[in-house]
Amino acid sequence: MRITARSLAPLGAAIVLLFCAATVAALEVRLIYVGSTDESAWLGVSQGQHEANIQGRFLDQTYTVERMTPEALSQSRPAAAAVVAAGEAAVLQDLSEAMNGVVVFNVTADDDALRRVCTKNLLHVPPSSAMKADAVAQWLHKNPDATVEARAWHPKFVKYAARDLNKRFLRVQGVAMDDDAWAGWAAVRMVAEAVIRTQSNEPSALLAFMKTEIAFDGQKGVPHTFRDTGQLRQRMLIVDEAGKLTGEAPVRGVADTTDLDSLGVPSCQR
Amino acid sequence: MTFMRPIAFAMLVLLTLAVGTVVAEPTHRVFVTNERSDSISVIDSRTNEVEATVDVGDRPRGIGFSPDRAHVYVALGEENAIGVIDARTLEVVKKVSAGSDPEAFAVHPNGNIYLSNEDANLATVLNPASGEILAEIPVGIEPEGVGVSPDGSRVMVTSESTFMVHVIAVPEHEVVANVLVGARPREVTFTTDGKLAYVTSEISGQVSKIDVATNAVVLQVRLEVPKAKPKGVVVSPDQKTLYVSTGSGNTIAALNADTLELLGTVKVGKRVWGIALSRDGSRLYTCNGVDDTVSVVDTASLTVVATIQVGTAPWGVVIDD
Repeated sequence: MRITARSLAPLGAAIVLLFCAATVAALEVRLIYVGSTDESAWLGVSQGQHEANIQGRFLDQTYTVERMTPEALSQSRPAAAAVVAAGEAAVLQDLSEAMNGVVVFNVTADDDALRRVCTKNLLHVPPSSAMKADAVAQWLHKNPDATVEARAWHPKFVKYAARDLNKRFLRVQGVAMDDDAWAGWAAVRMVAEAVIRTQSNEPSALLAFMKTEIAFDGQKGVPHTFRDTGQLRQRMLIVDEAGKLTGEAPVRGVADTTDLDSLGVPSCQR
Repeated sequence: MTFMRPIAFAMLVLLTLAVGTVVAEPTHRVFVTNERSDSISVIDSRTNEVEATVDVGDRPRGIGFSPDRAHVYVALGEENAIGVIDARTLEVVKKVSAGSDPEAFAVHPNGNIYLSNEDANLATVLNPASGEILAEIPVGIEPEGVGVSPDGSRVMVTSESTFMVHVIAVPEHEVVANVLVGARPREVTFTTDGKLAYVTSEISGQVSKIDVATNAVVLQVRLEVPKAKPKGVVVSPDQKTLYVSTGSGNTIAALNADTLELLGTVKVGKRVWGIALSRDGSRLYTCNGVDDTVSVVDTASLTVVATIQVGTAPWGVVIDD
């Protein structure tokens, strides 16, 4: 057989594939969800898992999500890369203690007191009550007669790449994405980002990455990082009485639009 | 005049043999897609004046030339099509089905269009002459930027929500490598010698330099420009300078293409998006998405020499010079 460039091409491709396979080790990432599957947070977790597995397909990584009750989790302390929890503040605090050293994501509770505890492994994806209050106050500073509320997400949000996320969530889950769904989605995607950046599924490596290095693209136009309180810094949305999206916070003209610490309590008070 | 003709013909034959494509005399036109006025603005690069505005279809974004520069291709996201415009008569010749939501694309030296279908996680290979879809290649979430190596052997596609550059071998149309870069990779471009590729990442604010032979990121820097969200990226013809548009940073950053050190910045317009260099590298054209203008930058002095009003939300730009 004559050896030509054409006959060598598939061999070249095979070598490239082998090279890539050798540099990226296969990883299985096990997540635990604590909460009801009737909640929209669960749909967010499912969407996040779906997307993490699309990403994982190219990197030989698979993501599984197992549902557990708080009691079962506290008793067995299962091996897991991270825990995503939808529940009351007291339950979340107990879970974070039971899973010491493993990231526990709060995806539903906005209690300020829960942030003030500054638990090392408890990370809060939803905006706190204080963040919501500050976002509304910034808006009222410019529009004193308005009646609004502040949210983490809105199904009609299109700026940045929000349009794309809303579109694919609706297509796959069959319902519009709300605040809790966004939080559940974000928690799983943050785990996936930590896994690809650290090339690890070790809880300690993932926790360290979350606390110090992550700059997550939550499709709200800014990199998201965590405060030392465990709170996710984020842009917020201003919604009027009729449920219509009317603006964003930090509010332009009142605060620097990139100063996410103008919302809520920026750090642990010692 | 008559003695010129055989020489001109011989040169044309030589050119055809050398590059395999007959390139017509340049029109000196700059073509700009206006995402929200469903048109392209056609600017005379010699006068910096808009000579025509052409209605092209719903949500035009990505724009490029056929290899012979006879046609301008425009991705029409809301029509799931590529619009084909005659670069001379400015007529919309036809619209070719291009799969779901085409956004950005690059034209291969063989004439095929490689495009990203943003909401379908696919890269599609389209023959614009026959309208045939030659391949659909699964890639990551929200695929966007597409680059074709000068020799046509590699295509790179960024996936914005999976932080990767997918390296596709041509003609096999197989993904041979997935290169991790910063969050929300937007665009990818090759150097003229094809040895390096550069990628912009909007959310992480980074520029990555990829060695094409090994598919490895050899250098990655954060753009130290206020509010920079790196988007457009082009390399000077001498491969020494990289120009990056910074989105809501409203500036163009010039970088040393080797070290990625910042050489300087120039303020252009609000939400600067797509950019293109003149053939000689002396002029850079920038789409200013919020101002509805195109800035013309003199690259030697990094100053704006003209600002041209175009349609609503200019997105992408190409030059036939």
